[in-house]
Amino acid sequence: MFKKILFATTASPACDHAARVAFDMAGRYSSDLTVLHVLGVPSRGFGQYVTDVRTGEQLVPDEDYVAWVKEEMKTTYAEQLKQCPECTMEAVAGIPHTEILRFARKTDADLLILGGHTKDRENEGYTYRNMAGSTLQSVARSARCPVLVVSRPAASFWGGFSNIVLGTDFSKAAEHAFRFALSAARQLDCRLHLFHALDISGMHAGKMLEQDEIENRLRDSLNTMRRKYVSQMKDFKNYEIDAWEGVPYVEIVKYAREKFADLIVMAHHTGSRDAETSALGSTMEQVVLRATCPVISVNHPDKVSQNA
Amino acid sequence: MTKKILIVDDDPNITSYLTEFFEDNGYATCAAPDGREALDVAKKEKPDLITLDLEMPDEWGPRFYRKMSQDPEIKNTPVIVISGLSGNQYAIQKAVASISKPFDRDELIKIVRDTIGDAK
Repeated sequence: MFKKILFATTASPACDHAARVAFDMAGRYSSDLTVLHVLGVPSRGFGQYVTDVRTGEQLVPDEDYVAWVKEEMKTTYAEQLKQCPECTMEAVAGIPHTEILRFARKTDADLLILGGHTKDRENEGYTYRNMAGSTLQSVARSARCPVLVVSRPAASFWGGFSNIVLGTDFSKAAEHAFRFALSAARQLDCRLHLFHALDISGMHAGKMLEQDEIENRLRDSLNTMRRKYVSQMKDFKNYEIDAWEGVPYVEIVKYAREKFADLIVMAHHTGSRDAETSALGSTMEQVVLRATCPVISVNHPDKVSQNA
Repeated sequence: MTKKILIVDDDPNITSYLTEFFEDNGYATCAAPDGREALDVAKKEKPDLITLDLEMPDEWGPRFYRKMSQDPEIKNTPVIVISGLSGNQYAIQKAVASISKPFDRDELIKIVRDTIGDAK
């Protein structure tokens, strides 16, 4: 678990919080860490010029320039490099999400770490238009490994795992997330909190539910969790199950805060059948933006089953 | 009885500076170099207030806080976060205040007095 971590960074303050988590995890779990910075976006086609992502200048990314960017990255992360001196720094030109996915394949990463939105408007960056950034969207959709997102400063305080929250809606996609959360909890000796939020947001649109009905459904959800998940956990006893009613993303964020979660694990999208085309689910997206701890999105089962 | 402050920081310079500073202002002090030891000291000494660093080698501040908040005897002790990390006001949401290093000593003592009153 977490043997090879790829941290994709803009090497700007927007990613500082993600960097804190990436370097701390690499140091703590003795992982091979690759830090990747996509330095420029090609102008068009096979043009030799790229637009530098930091300065907006047109330039040719020759060897000297790339070497200089790598040096700059080392300076930016000088403090963090002390705790994991072995890490590899990479800088390339290209379309960010393509290069990140390419490197994830190349390094056979079993975890990708990304920051949130980099549209820097001082402190508003991470909730810019209240949606996840486009690079994050594309990477989370296609990555074969779980993607860990640190989108706000509050989500970056670390010091190891002890509580993992799995947010589930009992879909097939959530099953992969469960398997990943369970193997993480097992290997890192964490308490696993299985959580289902019963969506009653329709109430304001006139879809009223009797309280008896809500409570019946909550009881059913707990039983479904026992049947679907607890039955697979065998000798693993360090868990609890809960179901709360409300607006799902609010309840998941609240639950994670209440349980001092260090990590939330959820499926990338649970409603869509085609993993290759679906965007981050709406609940997932809001949880990513609002959580007080890092959030892992699991979309493809490949790496999950390898780890389990 | 003299009020006691527990200083949790891995940097001995900060610890000795704060110890001297609080003692000059009439408070009693005790100290711990990381979150793990801090928990034992807090249980034993029952401080009136805790100043807490976030990033420490063995056990980080937020983890110390969550363990502390599960112990009924010390869970209501006010905590002031003193840390060099950016965004430190988000680390412990129930903290009385979050101060960045380097900090203003007058501001710190004001927060301490507003929270637990004068030393005696």
